[in-house]
Amino acid sequence: MTTPALLAVIAVCAPAAAALLLVLAPALRRQGAPAAVACIAASLASLGAALALALGRSPGEPAVRHVVPWLQAGSRTIAEVGVHVDGISAAMLVVVTLVALCVQVFSVAYMRGEARRGFGRYFAYHALFLFSMNLLVVAPNLLQLFVGWELVGLASYLLIGFYFAKPSAARAAVKAFWMTKLADMGILVGLVVLFVSTGSFEWTATPEPAVATAVTLLLFLGVMGKSAQFPLHVWLPDAMEGPTPVSALLHAATMVAAGVFLVVRAHPLFELAPTTGDVMLWVGAVTAAFAAGLALVQTDIKKVLAYSTCSQLGYMVAALGAGSAFAGFFHLGTHACFKALLFLAAGSVIHAVHSNELAEMGGLRRRMPLTAVAFGIGVLSLAGVPGLAGFFSKDLILTELEGRAGWVPWALLLLTAFATAFYMGRVFVLAFLGAPSARAGHAHEAGLAMTGPLIVLAVPSAVAGFFGGGLAAYVGASYEPHFGLTPLLASTLALAGIVAAVLVYGRGREVAFADALRRLDRAGAVDRAWKLLYSSALLWLSGVLGWFDRYVIDGLMNATGFATLEAGSAVRVVQTGRVRDYALAVVAGAILLSLWGVLS
Amino acid sequence: MTLENCILLATLLFAIGVYGLLTRRQAVAMLLCVELMLNASNLVFVAFARHAGGPGQILAMFALAITVAEVAVGLAIVLLLYRRHGHTAVDAASEARE
Repeated sequence: MTTPALLAVIAVCAPAAAALLLVLAPALRRQGAPAAVACIAASLASLGAALALALGRSPGEPAVRHVVPWLQAGSRTIAEVGVHVDGISAAMLVVVTLVALCVQVFSVAYMRGEARRGFGRYFAYHALFLFSMNLLVVAPNLLQLFVGWELVGLASYLLIGFYFAKPSAARAAVKAFWMTKLADMGILVGLVVLFVSTGSFEWTATPEPAVATAVTLLLFLGVMGKSAQFPLHVWLPDAMEGPTPVSALLHAATMVAAGVFLVVRAHPLFELAPTTGDVMLWVGAVTAAFAAGLALVQTDIKKVLAYSTCSQLGYMVAALGAGSAFAGFFHLGTHACFKALLFLAAGSVIHAVHSNELAEMGGLRRRMPLTAVAFGIGVLSLAGVPGLAGFFSKDLILTELEGRAGWVPWALLLLTAFATAFYMGRVFVLAFLGAPSARAGHAHEAGLAMTGPLIVLAVPSAVAGFFGGGLAAYVGASYEPHFGLTPLLASTLALAGIVAAVLVYGRGREVAFADALRRLDRAGAVDRAWKLLYSSALLWLSGVLGWFDRYVIDGLMNATGFATLEAGSAVRVVQTGRVRDYALAVVAGAILLSLWGVLS
Repeated sequence: MTLENCILLATLLFAIGVYGLLTRRQAVAMLLCVELMLNASNLVFVAFARHAGGPGQILAMFALAITVAEVAVGLAIVLLLYRRHGHTAVDAASEARE
C-alpha cells in the first residue's frame, strides 16, 4: 500500500475504530467524557491523515487507488472496496474532517448539560458519521459510495432523533429517513441499470447515451433527496430538531453536500447526459429561489439557516447542471465553512438564550461580541460580499450560468443572491442589533470550547475564496476570477440586500410581501402534496400489495402447509400400533416384491 | 442330502416361521418364529456353500451373530412388556403408536 492510500485508510478507519469501541464498550460510552475523548481523538487522527494526504499531493498528480475485491462471482470481480485518492477526495476529506473536528469540540461545551449516557451516545453517533462520510468520500466506485451514503443517512437519522423522547424530533428523524430513502431508491435502481449495461460500478463507465441519461436521472433523484432539492427538501427544515452542532455538521456542511459530491465524483457519467444537466439546472435554480423566499419569514434562527442551506445547495446543483463540476465543488467547500460557522454561532446564541426564536434574541452584539463577529463574517460570506469566500464561489456559479436556458436560471439565482443577503441581514439585525429581549439580557459568551471552533471556521469563511485558483489546479480544473458584469451585479445586489435588511428590520418594520410568503410557509404546500401522495397513492399501492401478500403469497404458503397436514392425517390410519399388523405388512411386502421379481 | 431337499426343508421351515409370526400373539412365540425364519435362510446359505462354493458359510456365521444380538434386544422388550402389562400378548402393546 502506498503512503497516500495508507493515509486515506487511516482517515476512514480511525473514526470507525472509535465508533466500534463505543458500541462494544457500553460502560465506556455511558461514562460520557471518555466517549467524547475517543471520538475527538479519532477525528483528530482523521484530520491529521487528511492534511498529510492533501499536502503530500502535488497538483495534477494522478489518482492513487488501493482496492481489494469485495463481491466476487466465480473468477469475476463485481465490485471492489478500497480508497481512491485524487484532488477531489483529498480536498473533500480535509473539509469534512476539519468541520467535523470543530463541531465535535464545540459539542463538548454545547452538550454539557446532557446526561452522561446521552453525552456518550451523541459522540458515538458522531464517530459513526465521520467514518461513513469518509468512506463515501474516498470511495473508488459508486457502490462503495452508496454504502457510505446510506450510512450517513443512518447517522443523520440517529442524530436528528437524538432527543427521541420529544415527539417532534422522533417524527423529524423518521421523515428525514423516509424522504431520503425514497430518493435513494433512485440510486439503487440507477446502479443496477449502470451495472447491467456496462458491467461495472465505476463512474468512468461509458454507457449508451440513452442509458447514461436514465442512470444519471436516477442518481440525481437520490441527490435531490440527500441535498434537499425541491420538492424533496421538506425534511431538511424539520431536521433542525436535532442538536444545533449536528445541524452544522450534517445538515449544512457535509452530509447534505454528499449529493453534490456524488455528482462531482460521477461527473464523467453526467457529462454523457446533457438532458440530466438541464433538469439539474432548473431544479437547482427553482430550489435556490423557493427556499430563499421561505427563509425570509422564518422566526426560528435554525430554520432560516436550514432554508438557506437548501438554497445554497440549489446553487451548487445548478452549477453542476451547467456542466461546471468545479464551480459546484468550490461552492461546496466555501459553503461548508461559512454555513458550519453560522450554525455554530447560532448554536452559541441558542445556548446562551435557551431559545431558537429570533424574537427572544436581539442586542446580543454587546453580550456576545465574538459570536456576533463570527456570525457577521458568516453572513457577509454567505451574502457574497466581495472579498469573502462566498463571493468567489457564488460568482463563479453565476458566471457559469450566463446565457444558459434563456438566462432564466441565471436571473433566478441573481434574484436569490439579493434575497440571501436580505434574509441573512434580517437575522443579523434581529439577533445581534437592536434592544435586547428579556432573555438576551443575561446572555454571555461561552468558554473556549465554543468560541475556538468559531474562530477556526471564521478564517476560511473569510479568505477561502482567494485559494480558488489553487483548489482548481489541485483538482485538475481551471479557475480565474474575472470581474465582468455578473460579479458586479451580484455584489451590488448582495450589498443592497444587506443595506435593505438593515433599513427595514433595523427600524422594526416588515416588508410588504412578507405576509404572502408567510402564508405560503404556513400552507406548507409541498408538505401537503407529499402527504396527499402518501395518503392516496402510496397507501393504496400498499393496500394492493398487502392484499396480494396476504392472500396470494401467504395463501400459497398456507395451502402448502394445510395440504401437508391433511395428507399426514390421511396416512396416519395405517399406523395401528399393533405388532402383528406390521408383521403382516412386512410379509405381504416381501411376497409382492418376490412376485414382482419373478414376473418381470 | 441333495440341494433340492435342502431348499425344500428351508422353505418349509420359513413358511412355518411366517405362519407362526402371523398367528401367534405371545411375544416369545413370535420371537421363536423369527428364529425359525432366520435359520431357514442360514440353511440355504450353508447348502449353497456346500454344493456350489462361495462365502455362504461365513454369511451364515454373520447371521448367527446378528441373531444373538437381535434376540437380546427382543427379550429385553419382552421383559419390559411383561413388567408393564403382566403378560406378553403383543396386541395390547399399541401405546407406541401416538
